[in-house]
Amino acid sequence: MSFLIKGGEIAGEEGAPVRGDVLVEDGVIKAVGQNLEAPEGVREVDADGKIVAPAMFDAHVHFREPGQEHKEDIAHGTEAAINGGVTGVVMMPNTSPVIDSGAAVGTVLDKARQVSRIPVYTSGCITKGRIGEELAGIDGMRNLGVVMLTDDGDPVANPAVLKNAMEYATSFGMFFASHCEVPELSGPRALNEGKVSYQLGIKGSPACSEEICMDRDIRLAYATGAHVHIQHVSSAIGMKTVRWWKERGAKVTAEVAPHHLIFNEEDIGEYDTYYKMNPPLRTLEDNAALLEGLKEGVFDLIATDHAPHGEFEKGQDFVSAPNGITGLETALVSLHDRFIAAGEFGWDLIVKRYSAEPRRLMGLDPVAVEEGKPAELIVFDPTGETTFSRDFMRSKSVNTPFLDQTLKGRVDLVVRGREVLLER
Amino acid sequence: MARKDFLDIASLSREEVDLLLDQATPFKELFTRSVKKVPALKGKSVLMLFYEPSTRTLSSFEVAAKRLSADVIDLDVPHSSVTKGETVKDTVDTLQAMRADYIVVRHKMAGLPRAIARQTKASVINAGDGAHAHPTQALLDAFTLKEAFPDLSGRKILIAGDILHSRVARSTSRLFLKLGVEVGFLGPGSLVPRTGPEGITRFTDFDEALRWGPDAVYLLRVQMERQEVQYFPSVHEYHRVYGVTQERFERIRGEGIYIMHPGPVNRGVELCHEVMDYERSLINQQVENGIAARMAVLYWLKPQTDSEEVNRE
Repeated sequence: MSFLIKGGEIAGEEGAPVRGDVLVEDGVIKAVGQNLEAPEGVREVDADGKIVAPAMFDAHVHFREPGQEHKEDIAHGTEAAINGGVTGVVMMPNTSPVIDSGAAVGTVLDKARQVSRIPVYTSGCITKGRIGEELAGIDGMRNLGVVMLTDDGDPVANPAVLKNAMEYATSFGMFFASHCEVPELSGPRALNEGKVSYQLGIKGSPACSEEICMDRDIRLAYATGAHVHIQHVSSAIGMKTVRWWKERGAKVTAEVAPHHLIFNEEDIGEYDTYYKMNPPLRTLEDNAALLEGLKEGVFDLIATDHAPHGEFEKGQDFVSAPNGITGLETALVSLHDRFIAAGEFGWDLIVKRYSAEPRRLMGLDPVAVEEGKPAELIVFDPTGETTFSRDFMRSKSVNTPFLDQTLKGRVDLVVRGREVLLER
Repeated sequence: MARKDFLDIASLSREEVDLLLDQATPFKELFTRSVKKVPALKGKSVLMLFYEPSTRTLSSFEVAAKRLSADVIDLDVPHSSVTKGETVKDTVDTLQAMRADYIVVRHKMAGLPRAIARQTKASVINAGDGAHAHPTQALLDAFTLKEAFPDLSGRKILIAGDILHSRVARSTSRLFLKLGVEVGFLGPGSLVPRTGPEGITRFTDFDEALRWGPDAVYLLRVQMERQEVQYFPSVHEYHRVYGVTQERFERIRGEGIYIMHPGPVNRGVELCHEVMDYERSLINQQVENGIAARMAVLYWLKPQTDSEEVNRE
């Protein structure tokens, strides 16, 4: 399919968006420029006042397949991604059974090839069974393209096991992604220790639990020469820990999730489980520090930690309800609504942190709206609105704080190669 | 305006608190008569839903409901971890079948009574949810201290012990603050939250706390069974540092400071046994006032169960 996107503001990694036309033919960006004419038979898409940007990439999603398909599966998860302007994802391996061998990787990637309209990558476990003791099948996973190793959902509790894994797997060209917490400090409760945990009468999980483990994992990476990627940093000191180690030359990258930028513990109100995730929402000061870290480049990428759960599961009391919220469908619009529309940062930050850098982390070429590149782009209407109703959602689950809310911004078009994945 | 539910102190206005405290007085006067019953809730049913073992609070509510002429149903629910993972909807579905007008619920999960209240037309009374709230205890505490000091404003109360795990400390401190009482917390650093509510003075030294000049010392029960880690070295050490020892009792008696305790007391831990016979111990009054305060709450609430009947038929 060929078309000409007329009059949009073309966003890239650097600088403000520039007005121009984009001609896409046979899945390739044929031309970018002013006043392009549509060749015979090529359809025109009016993008006046809209943003034309590279499509997003989410390096942290839970698609729950195999084993928990009542929450999500690859088919629905990838459609949710498209609905949010995302055309590539990295799945976490804490499925049931877990992804800790070449065979398990092969199974989910085969399934993805059958059902998904976008590329799907999977990470693999660091340890067999994700229980923190023996090494998982590293070579088998590597041979099927796995580059990210993580026991996400839990840290590798024993530092000797993690150190050994880093020494072993680094020579396979793999890197580590760390979910940071000290289980003995944080317990099973995903609620920040502080004013709100006292009010609610639930023992909280202190930020230092996450920060101690983060520091430990980066130290181990520094000592072994491994690359560690810190997942979903939630606290101000966590941000500063990453910054401190980057300044000292550790091979560390880090991500921040939209919900940790936007919400804090006060939003939990009367035990609203749609604000329960791990690491937990912390304070207003942490929100500000995380935003500062994002603008400064301490955070290499934005990732949602898309974590679907059934309504009956989230309908339990706050302590029993599982951790996590969905994010793929709401990330871009909510970041636009809260930050871009408010003038906090521009589209260049979004393109860099939610499109280019996550692809680089995975060893992929970033996509860009440039002449000669494969077409992988979105058209976003900053004056439009999105209502995150049940009907809107493509995920199997609706556990997002944005449920039934209307936010400023709308993904109008998602293109990948020859295929128009979404058009509103 | 009457409310449907009684879930926590935070959502009550000062006017509502004053109203409830005023209403408890005539109920208490009733207790000295030969006939202690009034027909206020005749034909209504009160369901006791205690997911945690309780004798004192449960029987206090039962007596309160019966003195209002209500029918009392005591639902035998498991106290064990079986209830963990149950959805609120499961619980409410069970309750609908009982057709109760009032549900008195105690559960170890903080927030569960509110979640139930959202999904039923019956009036829900929180009889203690985890470490979150115990609002009828707070009400009876305020009522009791008001008997000693009719004007509570400007009085000082020192709440001592395991603040961190105590729903009593949370609700009672909140209510006293609402009534203009100054509140102090005393306890080991491991059991007093660093980031607690505003307006509360934090003490870690008992003698310093007494120098602050409290009108009453409210001792919390040491809940050995709720501790996940060892918060203090031994019961003996706790008593010596944070308990009312005989020596401290002399000082308290000398200064005429009142003693309160939600019960049941651990003699030799929170207090030495001499305190039990102290003329300014309000502990037994608290128990009696608990019935009056709970009657006031039951009498005040307005279940929406009548409209439910109409809708169904």
